[in-house]
Amino acid sequence: RSPLEAKGSFKDETVVGGICEMCFWRCQLVGKKRGGRLVKLEGNPKSIDNGTSICARGNAGIKLLYDPDRLKFPLKNVGERGNPKWKKISWKEALDECGNKLKAVEDKYGAKGICVFPHGSSAKYPMHFFERTVGTKNVSEASFFQCRGIRDTAYVATIGKAPGEKVDMPNAKVIFLLGGHFGENIHVSHIKRYLKGLQNGAKLIVVDPRYSASAAKSDIWVPIKPGTDTAFLLGIMNYLIATKKYDADFVDEYGDGFEEFAKGIEEWSLEKAAAACDLTVQQIKEVADLLADNAPNVSIHPGRHVSWYGNDFQRQRSLACLTGLLGAFYVKGGWVPAIGPKVGKLSWEHKEHEEEFNLNLNSDDELYHPFTPPGTPTELIRDAALTGKPHPIKGCVIWGQNPIQTIPGQEKMKNVLRQMDFVMCVDVMPTDITMWADILLPEVSYLERYDYIKTGTQWDLSEKQQQFISARMPLVSPLFERKDQVFITNEIAKRMGYEEDIPVKTAKDMVEKNLEVAGLSLAQLKKEGGIHIQPGKNPYNMPDDFEVVFFNEDIEDAGFPGVPTYKPVEEPPAGFARLIYGRVPVHTFNRTQNNVWLHSAMPTNPVWLNDELAAKMGLKDGDEVGFINQDGIKSRTTTIVKTTPGIRKDCVYMGHGYGSANPLMTVGVGAGVDDTSLVTKIAVDPETGANGMRNNFVKFIKDGKIINIPTAA
Amino acid sequence: MQYGMIIDLERCVGCHACTIACKAEWEVPVEFARNWVYRMGPEMVDGEMASTYYPGLCNHCTDPVCVPECPADPVEVTFKDAKTGKTKTMEVAATWKDPFDGTVQIDKSRCLGCGACADACPYNARYVNPDLVDDVSEDGKADKCTYCKPRVEAGGIPACVQTCIAGARIFGDLDDPNSEVSKYVKKGAKGIEPDGGELGPNSRYYGKKKDMSLLFRTHTPELADLGSARRRAMLASLAKPAIKTIRNLGLIGAVGSILMNENNTSEDKE
Repeated sequence: RSPLEAKGSFKDETVVGGICEMCFWRCQLVGKKRGGRLVKLEGNPKSIDNGTSICARGNAGIKLLYDPDRLKFPLKNVGERGNPKWKKISWKEALDECGNKLKAVEDKYGAKGICVFPHGSSAKYPMHFFERTVGTKNVSEASFFQCRGIRDTAYVATIGKAPGEKVDMPNAKVIFLLGGHFGENIHVSHIKRYLKGLQNGAKLIVVDPRYSASAAKSDIWVPIKPGTDTAFLLGIMNYLIATKKYDADFVDEYGDGFEEFAKGIEEWSLEKAAAACDLTVQQIKEVADLLADNAPNVSIHPGRHVSWYGNDFQRQRSLACLTGLLGAFYVKGGWVPAIGPKVGKLSWEHKEHEEEFNLNLNSDDELYHPFTPPGTPTELIRDAALTGKPHPIKGCVIWGQNPIQTIPGQEKMKNVLRQMDFVMCVDVMPTDITMWADILLPEVSYLERYDYIKTGTQWDLSEKQQQFISARMPLVSPLFERKDQVFITNEIAKRMGYEEDIPVKTAKDMVEKNLEVAGLSLAQLKKEGGIHIQPGKNPYNMPDDFEVVFFNEDIEDAGFPGVPTYKPVEEPPAGFARLIYGRVPVHTFNRTQNNVWLHSAMPTNPVWLNDELAAKMGLKDGDEVGFINQDGIKSRTTTIVKTTPGIRKDCVYMGHGYGSANPLMTVGVGAGVDDTSLVTKIAVDPETGANGMRNNFVKFIKDGKIINIPTAA
Repeated sequence: MQYGMIIDLERCVGCHACTIACKAEWEVPVEFARNWVYRMGPEMVDGEMASTYYPGLCNHCTDPVCVPECPADPVEVTFKDAKTGKTKTMEVAATWKDPFDGTVQIDKSRCLGCGACADACPYNARYVNPDLVDDVSEDGKADKCTYCKPRVEAGGIPACVQTCIAGARIFGDLDDPNSEVSKYVKKGAKGIEPDGGELGPNSRYYGKKKDMSLLFRTHTPELADLGSARRRAMLASLAKPAIKTIRNLGLIGAVGSILMNENNTSEDKE
């Protein structure tokens, strides 16, 4: 029998030092603890980042911590990959197996025979071991190759820096979002910036084929045809130049290659852009004028997940160039990188390796994808594994990533895994990828370990300049036999013959050493409530060497357009609509699908279908449907229809990350539809090698019958 | 004093932080909720596209329709004003409206678990939590948002307000004309009154005209059929001790109402 009245966590002991990792924004937490058990998580009141706020996922962290489905012991697969039978084994046996099998791959094929799919802060340490010490370049981070890598390298090629999401929205007069859907996409201090801007009167422009959560707060919604964003941006930029509404002084002083750029995009009349984007001239002109009238105090948001169509590098370059035309760098409301404090980065050292190899180099020593983010483009790794050329890849380390639901082409991924000599996975939860492991190791969660050091500044740059440093400390002790990344990596390193290279004995030592660089310690941080705060610096001063490279000769020399260029994408075939996807506020990709609170908040991912099309198709709200894509691949599960005028007729939309296949996820399995399972046609952005994932098309299936989508009607 | 909560829909981003924080703070079972977030739209509202949220919770109504439905035997309770120390003694059943802070509360130890209050609430803001049982009710206890009264009395703010990432939830005294919540009411914040009802909901909404139209058009409830709530309540008040007796006797299975009434009668005689 429970007590009749819940006690309320406010009476419980407060423990400091938590840093969230339900998503990768990593808010600062305190825990409420009762009898050694964590009962609630809250934002750390000392935080100048998230403050006392945390999102739904952050609040639901205790349901990950105590999820009965969590991995508890090292497991060996005595069945087959993809259809596992698990046997509980000792850590010694598990580590021996991992060390010996990876060593065998290294001996036979060299370090290049190993590939790594890491994700999350605990995956950095093992990633560095395999990359720097063992010496494999075959590392594919989802955060780069299926998410934001294109943004970073496109901005580096334009302004010399990765842009983050560093737009000064609180102080902007206009906020411009291209596909950004804040509200469905939640990062706490980022949302605070956005809302403060709106409250301060900023006009909001949202360009999206769908009336997203952000479109619902917008002053101007531009329902653009999917895939044509670059044409839209080129139309705006050409108009600004032709009408002399751009910031000529800024461009004179900081611009490079402007003449070539202006000439290169002069074909992009508003009429041409409007035709390409299925918009009116007026719709584009209105946006351009609003931006010009309020320049330079405009936030041209660089985006985050930008792996869309395989033409994305040029679009991201366009965003950076548009920011330059508006003079919106290092000014109130523009792109302003806050100046944070420095901490150490202790990890594995780079070792000299006799044999140099790089899958991204062709036989003439030229890069296939010269503007690649760090690591090796995913498809180069997968293609090498499947063909054995230029060399075999036979060992696979997966740490916190779920490549089945992260990377398009699920069957391709499965074939890559099938041909491996050895596959190991480390995770906190069973996921679709863990079904493919030979050895599956249970990791402690972000609430039970030391690792990440979070630094930053106050979120509103116009307020008193402050910096913070906080380190993730455990809020509770680990249960069962879960271990942390430093223990697991070091033990594998010893078994592979790299004992003398081990940089640090424990995760706690690593954090201590990295804090030392900032003159801090864990004890000191704890004393300061988990967060150290110190005076900051004015972020609005432009560095002397800052420039905006409008025409980039290096890109042209590498064989790609040096002036931002629009490349049209394939149209949906008759009867199909383009499948687009995005986020829901209560889930982080597929990572949170088994969380019982989050699942109950949004148990499925309804497919958005234009209401006029729905009427023609005989579908109504709540109808249960599945999908078939252009390659004849059917969804394993179903979802429900949401009819709305708030989506174009050439696309349908669903939340990403649903429809898990692993029966060990007793809550999340089979809930909703796995959008990634329908992304079988693989597009690669040529400059970066990152994936484009919105070039697939679907029809609906209801009661076993395929229903065409009358898109052209 | 009348506590109230404003939900500013211009700020709300529909993230559900409020609902999950509440679950953690008050151990709300997964299948129930003291508060909720529904998304409406996108749909056309007066020729404009609109989409917004209904972040709902108990309205702590000025004239609550749930309170009079409670069939538990009234007892005398002395209430105390936390601020002035003033006291007031009233006869209340197992749920009441607090004479000092205006919140609607439940005494779970006296709740019969009949669900009449939940049936009466047009907003579905109450539920019967089957995990909470005692000798008075083995069917569970009515539960709902308390405006985090225990937290507030300890000097805190409601858990949903504390975690709200948008600053969209504002809690305070609607009787104080200088409070933040009163300023919102002056700006046009409105409670969702059921069709034909005059309950005076004190959780109120503020937003753009089209969003308010969408919210009120889609979520204005009907008043509950109090007749059926009352029949259930009456049966509960009669049957509860009887069920207890039967269970104590170890009789499990189909038991007719006649038997229950007989048992009840005999118990009364004792």
